[in-house]
Amino acid sequence: MGSFRVPPKAVPSPHVRLALRQETVKDKYEDIPTIPLQRISRKSAMSLAEETPLRAVQLEALTVMKTIKHCATRHPATATGFLVGMDNNGLLEITNCFPFPVVDLPPEAQYEQQHQHFNSAAAAPRAKANTAYQAEMIRMQKEVGVDANNVGWYTSANLGNFVNSNFIENQYFYQKEVNERTVALVHDVSRSSQGALSMRAFRLSPQFIASYKESKFTTEALQKSGLKYSDIIIELPIRLHNAHNVTTFLNQVPRLLSDGTMRPPTSVSSIESDPAITSDDLSPNFDKLTLNIDPFLQQTCDNLLDSIETHHVESNNFSYYARALGREQTKIQQWQAKRKAENAARAISKQAPLPEDEWQKLFKLPTEPSRLESMLNSRQVEQYARQVDGFVAGTSGKMFAVRGNLIPGETGVSAE
Amino acid sequence: MVEIDSSLHLARPLGPASVGLQANTTPLTVQIQPQALFSILDHSSRRPPDQHRVIGTLLGTRSDADDSSITIHSSFAVGHTETTDQVEVDMEYQKAMLQLHMRANPKEVLVGWYATSSELNTFSALIQNHYSSQGEGTYPFPAVHLTVESKPGKDVEVRAYISSAVGVTPERAADSAAFVPVPYSINYSEADRSGVESLEGAKEAESRTTGIMTDIESLEKSLEDTLGMLDRVSKYVEGVIEEEEEPSTALGQFLLNTLALAPKVDPSDIEKDFNNHIQDVLTVSYLANMTCYGAVDDGWRRGWQPARRRQEAE
Repeated sequence: MGSFRVPPKAVPSPHVRLALRQETVKDKYEDIPTIPLQRISRKSAMSLAEETPLRAVQLEALTVMKTIKHCATRHPATATGFLVGMDNNGLLEITNCFPFPVVDLPPEAQYEQQHQHFNSAAAAPRAKANTAYQAEMIRMQKEVGVDANNVGWYTSANLGNFVNSNFIENQYFYQKEVNERTVALVHDVSRSSQGALSMRAFRLSPQFIASYKESKFTTEALQKSGLKYSDIIIELPIRLHNAHNVTTFLNQVPRLLSDGTMRPPTSVSSIESDPAITSDDLSPNFDKLTLNIDPFLQQTCDNLLDSIETHHVESNNFSYYARALGREQTKIQQWQAKRKAENAARAISKQAPLPEDEWQKLFKLPTEPSRLESMLNSRQVEQYARQVDGFVAGTSGKMFAVRGNLIPGETGVSAE
Repeated sequence: MVEIDSSLHLARPLGPASVGLQANTTPLTVQIQPQALFSILDHSSRRPPDQHRVIGTLLGTRSDADDSSITIHSSFAVGHTETTDQVEVDMEYQKAMLQLHMRANPKEVLVGWYATSSELNTFSALIQNHYSSQGEGTYPFPAVHLTVESKPGKDVEVRAYISSAVGVTPERAADSAAFVPVPYSINYSEADRSGVESLEGAKEAESRTTGIMTDIESLEKSLEDTLGMLDRVSKYVEGVIEEEEEPSTALGQFLLNTLALAPKVDPSDIEKDFNNHIQDVLTVSYLANMTCYGAVDDGWRRGWQPARRRQEAE
């Protein structure tokens, strides 16, 4: 089951692409001043930082556990919080995390919001009140020795549905206002409960930040910058790190079963109700071997349907705009032709010609809708597709294994 | 579970009770959530080099009906200094942090305090009495004291206590307390387990780091665990057959019951079920990929072309 890629046809000509590349490289190194000795200004510090780009993220055990707990308690609502840590020469070490306060709106308040979905938790990272909360918390934690640098924020997700405008705006806010070297940590609650822990770290790509700054997501701007939906966010690899005392603690946890020999049991029920077995919370978890695919598939299909609907809405908007534009254009052309004819007539009767560019004041071209939503939507769909691929790989393996076992006489798996 | 000291369920000591308030004497148990413990371990490893032990506050919930069980959800550190004859705890800091914390987790309340050394001395008693007092303390509930000792090279020792006033003399009443050990347990929820499993992957590594496992890798690990267990069981059974191991009818019966769980279904039914099942999975995968690379990519291309045609026309 391989994934297939349709080569994109809308590729600008080679000359244009070369010009683009030169431009971006020039932009990157343009504002690095010569670094005078003994004086570290913010600008030169930033330029130093640009030279060792962030390549990986290291998470402390504490951050992992706290994030899991916060996201799990708020499931299925979104949970957000901020991260503190240290930037260590290209490796971002995240040592602690704290949740943002959330005001639980009463259900009636939801109907009062006229504009789009107001999700207080999802918008929390960039809310002004929370910036103050964050600063206060960091200041207090500094007194007891916790790292005092804000290095990002985290959010919970459900089967990968985090690529939306809230996510982008939050990360943009962090990368612009707080500190360029920040990441967004996404913990996927549903996938973690089915199998392995799902934690991913993302940043916005530099091309996307440049486009977002100008907020121009029209077709021409996109063609010029060559920004594709897959370029919006970049993922960083994560490593987990345990402090020494945490390692000691983890080693001593499953003590009960590995210590010495147990006496032979006297009855079947004593085996089943032996407290050493029933209360061993950290025995290996075999939920991953289950063949239950329905919840995952159902949820994924629902999510895909939502994305397709959004896609349709966006493309309808765009076609509507295209049609309106076409209509305006024809009207303008008709008016221009009429004006030309009038001027020709006036030239014959020796009158002053009327201005030909008055059409700019008379006709208003419709504004092109922003393509940002549809780009995010496409990225989201790509996310779902990759998830499903991963899931299918595991499930097909399990399916063939079970089948090989149940059908008598079949020992090998036929290559299909 | 960690090595737990055996404890005796004593009636809870009666604290100072106001008139009309029924003092509760049922035995108390403490349940600790792992992230609180990790937080404490982290704090103890960050303590300033001259401090032997550091303290902090515990936050959590009490069970409703008879508060016989306290669950500790989280903790934060509180600055304090200790000299030979006096101890200072930064209570302003503690109050401020408590407020900040309550904003993010409104359901958690103050339930006690922790220290990162197992010894109990007069300073512990002093702090304990302060935490149990009226006003900002946990009154009328008892304050839980948790000691988490992590000496390098030795196991992490966790102990939980509640205290009662010990009548020595009125002058010494403030810094005397009898610490009564209470049983505790560390509860891992489903979500915590996957986190701890990933962290355990780093147990053996020299640098104590590990990457996050993908789905396939975790499946592989589960299968290896299962194969390991099957190996051990078959070795035991062989040993019993060759009369090297002590036989046990209970174990034999248990194994027989387990093996009987394998379903005996008609092969054609299996084929049918299998095909249906795998068809579902493959269909969704195909649709998802098609949506992504077919419809969406296509839409982008179509979106750009009308604009280009118009530009050429102008």
